Amino acid sequence: MKTGVKAMFRRSIMEIILVAICIILGFTAPNFFTTGNLLNVLRSVSMQGIIAFGMTMVIISGEIDLSVGSAVAMTGCLIAFLVQSGVPVVPAILITLIVGFLTGTFTGILRARFEVPSFITSLALLTGLKGLAFIITGGFPITSFPEWFNYLGGGYVLGIPFPAIVFLLVFGLAHFLMNYTTFGRAVYAVGGNAESARLSGINTGKIKILVLAATGMLAALSGIMLSARIMSGTPTVAQGWELDVIAAVIIGGTSLMGGSGTIWGTLIGVIFIGVIINGMTLLNVPIYTQYVVRGVLILSAVLINRVQQGKQQNS
Amino acid sequence: MNTGNLQLSRIRKEYPGTVALEDLSITFQPGEVHALIGKNGAGKSTAVKILSGAVKPISGRIYLDGKELHFSSPSEAISRGIATVYQEMSLIPDLTIAENILFGRLPKKKTMGFTIIDWDAVYSKADNILKGMKIDLDVRMKVSQLDVAKQQIIEIAKAMSFEPRVLMLDEPTSALAHHEVQELFRLIKELRSKGVIIIYISHRLQELPGIADVITVLRDGKLTGTLKIKDALPEKLSELMFGEEVSRSEPLSYIQSDEVVLEVADLCAKNRLENVSFKVYKGEVLGIAGMLGSGRSELLRAVFGADKIESGKITITGKIINNPTPEKVKKFGFGMTPENRKEEGLVQILSVKDNLTLACLDRISEKGIIDRNTNKDLINKNITDLHIAVSDPGQPVNTLSGGNQQKVVIGNWLNTEPKIMFFDEPTRGIDVQAKQQIFSIIKDLSRQGISSVFVSTELEELLEVCNRVIVLQKGRVVNEINTEGLKLETLFESCMEA
Repeated sequence: MKTGVKAMFRRSIMEIILVAICIILGFTAPNFFTTGNLLNVLRSVSMQGIIAFGMTMVIISGEIDLSVGSAVAMTGCLIAFLVQSGVPVVPAILITLIVGFLTGTFTGILRARFEVPSFITSLALLTGLKGLAFIITGGFPITSFPEWFNYLGGGYVLGIPFPAIVFLLVFGLAHFLMNYTTFGRAVYAVGGNAESARLSGINTGKIKILVLAATGMLAALSGIMLSARIMSGTPTVAQGWELDVIAAVIIGGTSLMGGSGTIWGTLIGVIFIGVIINGMTLLNVPIYTQYVVRGVLILSAVLINRVQQGKQQNS
Repeated sequence: MNTGNLQLSRIRKEYPGTVALEDLSITFQPGEVHALIGKNGAGKSTAVKILSGAVKPISGRIYLDGKELHFSSPSEAISRGIATVYQEMSLIPDLTIAENILFGRLPKKKTMGFTIIDWDAVYSKADNILKGMKIDLDVRMKVSQLDVAKQQIIEIAKAMSFEPRVLMLDEPTSALAHHEVQELFRLIKELRSKGVIIIYISHRLQELPGIADVITVLRDGKLTGTLKIKDALPEKLSELMFGEEVSRSEPLSYIQSDEVVLEVADLCAKNRLENVSFKVYKGEVLGIAGMLGSGRSELLRAVFGADKIESGKITITGKIINNPTPEKVKKFGFGMTPENRKEEGLVQILSVKDNLTLACLDRISEKGIIDRNTNKDLINKNITDLHIAVSDPGQPVNTLSGGNQQKVVIGNWLNTEPKIMFFDEPTRGIDVQAKQQIFSIIKDLSRQGISSVFVSTELEELLEVCNRVIVLQKGRVVNEINTEGLKLETLFESCMEA
C-alpha cells in the first residue's frame, strides 16, 4: 500500500508541483484564481501548446524540429498574402495548412531517404522560412483579413477562447494517437530503437515523415490563429518559439533520446510554463527575472525527472 | 630449465553453472608458434582472457622465465610482458599509422614553455618499430587507407612496440582473404625468429601446418593433447576436439513433406554472398552451418530484406518477392529473430508487452486503433505459452534475463503467425534451460507445419534440432547434409575452410 502511494507520487511529481504552485499563487497573487485569469493562461499557452503536442511525437520518434517558430511566422504571412491576393479565406486556410504539412514532409523525406539529420534540415528551414516570411510580405505586415477572421485568434465559444478549444482538441487527438493506435506504438518503437523497429517490419521512414509533417501542419494552424489574433501577417512574430516549445515538452518528461514521453506530460509542461509566467506577471516580477526563472525551471524539471527515474529503476 | 618459457600451472576458472577451465597446465616455448584450438566452449577464450588480464583465475599460477606473474588488468598484463591482439580491431581509422602505434604515449617536447607533441620523433620512432619487423609502410598514412590485412599487421606492430615476451593472437586470420594470410604469416615467422613466445588461437585448422609448431587441444575446459605439428593429423585433431560421439537426444517429429515453402535461387550480395540457392520444405528445420565470417547471418538477413541484395530470386509459397524489405517479407509470412537481440530485436526502454507486439500491430488493431482486450489476451497467452518469467507485462524488457528477452523476441514474431521463422543465433548468451525451451518451441513449430531456418555457431545445436544442414564457406553453399546419423566431426570438417 505504502509503496503504491510512493510510486503514484513519483509518477505524478510534476502534477503535484503544478498544483502546489497554483495554491501558492492563489494565496499570493491577486486575481490568480479568477475564471478570467485562468482562461487567459489557457489562451496564452494555446498557440505554442498546439505545436508542443506535435513536437512531443517528433522527439519521441528520435527527431527534432527547430523550424516551428519560423513556420508560424511564414504561414501567418502566407495566409495574409493569399487573402490579399483575392483567395477566399477558407481555401486560404486549407492551402496554408497543406504548406505547413509539406515543410514537415520535406524535413522527414530528407531524414528518411537521404539520412540528413532533422536537426540540420530544420535548422536550415529556421532561417529559410524566416526569410521567406519577409519575402512574402516585403518586410511590412499585411493587413488583409476580413473582420470576422479575428474570431479564430481572439474569439470565444461558450466563454472559452477559441485557440484554447483548438489546443484541447489537438491534445485529445494526440493523446488518442499515441496511446490507442498502432501509429503511436510505432512512434515509440522507432524512437526507442529504429533498427529493431525496422527489423520488426515497421516502416520507420514513413513514421518519421508523418510525425514531422503533422508538426509542420500544427505550426501552420498556430500561425493562422496567431495572424488572426493580431489581424495581420507579420514576419517578425514567433521568433524563438521552437525553444519554448521544446522546453515545454522536456518539462513534461519527454526524453530527448527518443522512445519515451507522453502527450499528457506535455500538457502539464505547457500549462506549467503558462502558470509560472502568469503568476510572475501578476506578482510584478520584472521580465528579465522571468527569463532567469524559466531557465531554472527547465533545468529543475529535467533534474527531478532524472532523479525520479533513477529511484524507479532502483526500487 | 624454466628460463625463457611461459608456464600455466593448474589454472582453474569457474562461471556460475560451469567449469570453464579445469586445472589447465601448458608450457609455451620461446621461438615457437603454439596454436590453441578447440570447439566453442572448450575454454580457449577463457584462457585468452586470463592471459590478457581481462579475468582472474580462481586458482593456479602463471610463470614467465621461472618467475611468477601477478596482474589483474590488461594494462598490467602488457607491462609484465604479455601483449594480446584481439579479433576486433582496436585501431582508430582516422589517425595515422604512427599515432595508432604510439597512441597514449606520443613523444613530447617543450617549446616556449609549452609541452607539445614532437611529430618528428613520433614518425621516426614508429618507422623504426616497423623497420625492426621488416614491415614496409609509410607511417604517415591513415589507417583507414589500409586493407584489413595491413591493419592487422599494424595491430601486431602496436602490440610489439611494448616489447613483450609473449604475443597472443586471437583469431588473427578470421577477417582475412587467403593471400592476405600469407602476409600475416611472414610477420609472425619474423617475430618467432626473434625468440618471441607466440600463442595462436584459431578455428581454421587447415592453416595451422603453415604457421604452427605445436598444437594444444582443449575440450570442456581440459587439455586433451599437445602435439608437434608433424604429428597433428586431421583425424587425430578431430578426435581430441570432439571426444565421444554426440547424438540427438530425441528423434525429430519431422512432417515428411514435399511442399516447398521457401526457395532461394542464385542469391548474391556484394562481398557477402555468392550464388546461394536452397529450398526449405514445409515443417522442416533447416540448419545453416559455417565458420565465423562464412555468411551465415548475412544469408538470413539478405533473404529477410534486412540488408540489400544484388541479384537472386526469392520465392515463398509460389510467390516471388522482389526487392525484399522486412516490412514486405513480413506480409508474406517471414519472421526473424536477429543475432543481436538487444540492438536489433528489442526496444529496450519499452515494456515486455509492447515488445511482444512490435511486429504484429495489425493483428491487435482494427483500422489502426488498438483493441486493448485482444492485446491483453494475446500477451497473456504468449507469457504462458513461452514460459516468459515476468511479474508484470508492463515492466521494461531490459529487466529480463537474456533467455527471457530472447523468448520475447520469438513471441513477437510468432504473433505474426509466420509460415517460416529465421532464428539467428537464438541461444547466444542464454542459460541451458532457456536453450532447451527455445529448442522445444522450434520443434513445436515444426509439428504445426511452420518451417524454421536455424543459424548457430554451436554445431551440436544444429544436430539436435535440424533435419538438414547446408554448409557455407565464404558466402557460398559448399555442402548439404541430412542430419540423420550425422557425426559432429563430419559436420565440423565440412565447415572448415580450405
